[in-house]
Amino acid sequence: MQLPGKGNTEAIKDLLSSLVRRSEAVTALLISREGVCVSKAGSTESLNSTALAALVAGMFAATREVANIVGEEQFSILLQQGEKRHIHISLLGQRYMMVVVFEDYRRIGRVRHEARSIGPELVGILESREKTKKEDSEDISVPEFREYALNLIDRIFVVGEEDDASSGPD
Amino acid sequence: MKRTMPHLDPTEKQIVFKIVYFGPGMSGKTTNLLYIHKTLTERYKGDMLVLDTEKERTLFFDFFPVSLGTVQGYSLKFHLYTIPGQIYYEASRRIILEGADGVVFVADSQADRLDDNTEMYRLMIDNLLSHGIDPSGFPVVLQYNKRDHNPRLRLGVIERELGLEGIPVTESIATQGRGVMRTLQLISKEIIRRFQIY
Repeated sequence: MQLPGKGNTEAIKDLLSSLVRRSEAVTALLISREGVCVSKAGSTESLNSTALAALVAGMFAATREVANIVGEEQFSILLQQGEKRHIHISLLGQRYMMVVVFEDYRRIGRVRHEARSIGPELVGILESREKTKKEDSEDISVPEFREYALNLIDRIFVVGEEDDASSGPD
Repeated sequence: MKRTMPHLDPTEKQIVFKIVYFGPGMSGKTTNLLYIHKTLTERYKGDMLVLDTEKERTLFFDFFPVSLGTVQGYSLKFHLYTIPGQIYYEASRRIILEGADGVVFVADSQADRLDDNTEMYRLMIDNLLSHGIDPSGFPVVLQYNKRDHNPRLRLGVIERELGLEGIPVTESIATQGRGVMRTLQLISKEIIRRFQIY
C-alpha cells in the first residue's frame, strides 16, 4: 500500500520492523545514496546510524566503481561477515539502500529472503515519495527558511576576531 | 545539467546539506574539519570519522554531521566531508562529491604548489560534470590555506590561472584555526542562499 505524506513513514517503518522480526535481525536501516539515514527499526540505540549511513553509502558507491571495473553495472547486494555481527546491504531502486544487521549467520538465507520480499514495496513507497516531495514540502516558505537558516549559521558558526588570517599586501 | 538539491525529507522533516572539502594532498582539508569539530559546541555536532592511512593521509573520507536546529519544523543539518587529495584516489573523490551541495576548495598557499592546486581544481570540475552538475552555478569557496608560509602564493593567482570570476575567497591558517570558521560560514551561506525546492 502506498500512502502519501506521514503514512509513508509509518509504512516504511512497519516493513523494516517486520523484516527485523521475521529474520530475527538486530536492526534494519534505510539509507539514501547521499548517506542519510531515512528510517530505522529494531534495536538501534547502540548504533551511530548517522556515521553508519555515511560509511555504507561510501562503501556502496565504491562497490559500484569496482563493479564497473569488472564489467558489471552494479552489485546489488553486499555482505559483510564478522565474528558476532554481520551486515546485509541491498540496493533499493537507484537512490536507496537497506542495511540489515544480524547476529546468527545461519539466518543469512532468511535475511536475504525477507530483504528481497519487502524490496519492491519499499521501492514503490520511496518512488511515490519522490514524486510528491514538492507538494509535501509546501509547508516550507523558502525565503523565510533562508532567513532563519542564515541566522542560525551566524549564531553557531561563530567567527571571532582571532579568526582573521589575512596576509595583507604581498 | 542537474540542479543540485539537498536531502529534503518532508515526512521525516529533515533537510541535509552536504559540504565537501576538496583540494590537493596535504593542503589542510582534514585540519579544517578537525578544528571545526573541536570548536563547535557539543550539542551541535556528531562524532567525527577519520579514515586515514598510517601516513596521516585521508584514505577515503573524513566526516561529521552538524545539526543547527529546527527551521520551520525541519531539522537543519550539514554533513561535512573531506576527500583524499592524492592524485591516485580519483575514484574515491568522484564518489564523495556525489550529492554535494557545495565545496570548499582548500588550496595550499606554498609558492611551489600552484600547479597542484590548479590541477586538482580542474579535476573537481570534471568530477562535478561527471555527476551532471553545472559548475557555473555551484557554490564553491576558495580557501587559501597556509598563509603563514613564505614564500606563498599571491592572492588571486589561482583564480587568474583558472579563469575564475567572482568566486568567494578566504585566507586561513587551519593549523591555528584561523579563517576556518569564516570559510565554513561563507560556504554554508552560499548554499542556503541558493536553496530551492524543485
